[in-house]
Amino acid sequence: MKPDDTTGAMAEAVRRAILRADPALSRFDPLPRIISHDDFSRGYCGWTQLVGNYEDDLDTMLPGYAQHTSAMLSTLGHWDAGSHGGMDSSYALKIATRPRAGAQNVAIKRHTFRKRGPIRFETYFTFKPEASALKLGETDVRAVGFLFDLQGGDRDGDSDRVMPHLRFLNAENGAHVQKWQFKTETTPFRVLGNTNKTFTHYHLAPQGWRDLPGGGQRLCYNEIPTKVNWTYLRFDFDLASMRATGFQCNDRVFDMSGFDSIRIPAMKNLWCMLNFCMFAETDVDKRAFLYVDSVCISGDF
Amino acid sequence: MLPENITAVVARNEAWSGHAASEPYEAGWAREAVIFVRALKEPEGVQPSCRVEISPDGMHWVPEGTSAPMPAAKDAVVALRVGHFGNWLRVAADFGSGARSVVLVTIHLKS
Repeated sequence: MKPDDTTGAMAEAVRRAILRADPALSRFDPLPRIISHDDFSRGYCGWTQLVGNYEDDLDTMLPGYAQHTSAMLSTLGHWDAGSHGGMDSSYALKIATRPRAGAQNVAIKRHTFRKRGPIRFETYFTFKPEASALKLGETDVRAVGFLFDLQGGDRDGDSDRVMPHLRFLNAENGAHVQKWQFKTETTPFRVLGNTNKTFTHYHLAPQGWRDLPGGGQRLCYNEIPTKVNWTYLRFDFDLASMRATGFQCNDRVFDMSGFDSIRIPAMKNLWCMLNFCMFAETDVDKRAFLYVDSVCISGDF
Repeated sequence: MLPENITAVVARNEAWSGHAASEPYEAGWAREAVIFVRALKEPEGVQPSCRVEISPDGMHWVPEGTSAPMPAAKDAVVALRVGHFGNWLRVAADFGSGARSVVLVTIHLKS
């Protein structure tokens, strides 16, 4: 082993030891630099409502975006058992749909990147329908998921806008499907207003989801609508190749060789964009809730 | 650390008529709330009052006691100040026949 290798190995060992001794970070496996660590007992941590584009008139906003509302800080307070709380605090971020079949809601965190290299998204999450009925409702939540919205630098030659999407399709039309899906297509672009500056498309349209090969997974759902269990998720993406490099949910590590992203031509105002979204969809006329205990976003740069 | 404060948009460009209410919002961490209701378009018909409602569970609602007339003109804003609300908040209004308003409802919370 060369001296540089020895120094590097020692540095990595020290880094891992520090991470593992830190109760807030020990449950994550971050890459060398932590871009953000969101523990929702410290506030919203930059997660905001995904608002749709518009120009001159809010009526120009596509209905898919118009339905969105602000995420909230929740103690998972339930009518029958009181506050459930998060993993090590009382709070979690809550993304709630409206009570209408097919309704969605999305929270977003907007960054840019300084190097096109590996990034890792880790979170502990759970989901449930609103506890408005005295039964489990395991097929009420259609899906929960996440997406990135990425674009290369302004001097890069290959600067597509790239949007990896993954959702856990929990249920569809009453069937308890339980599988991971991705999508590679969005809706056609529409120009808003008359200045040629603002465009819109609906990348979370219900059409175009494809099954992740081997992506069936039965998650812990518990036995009444007010009991939840936190689930670990890790998604790795390489900003250099704009390809997914890894995906894990709890004990399952998935083969991502069959995965691809939505790819559209670069836009003139989104250089080095590094956005993260989390979303919920309901399958019935009942609110679906995605709860996020914590998020750790890291990179190798 | 500075105390948390946040602006939440709970109804944007929504046409309210009949029995209308904003989506439930959890804010148990906050000690005070100011809720603004703005008419984005010229209101139609007789405008009712809007009221703050609180809830034990986000599903069963009771009036908190704070109310204000709905904004009477386009871009008019009314404010509802609440200092003791537990966890759940929403704004509700009951419009009579032929009355409606397109609203922006924002909740401003401070710990």
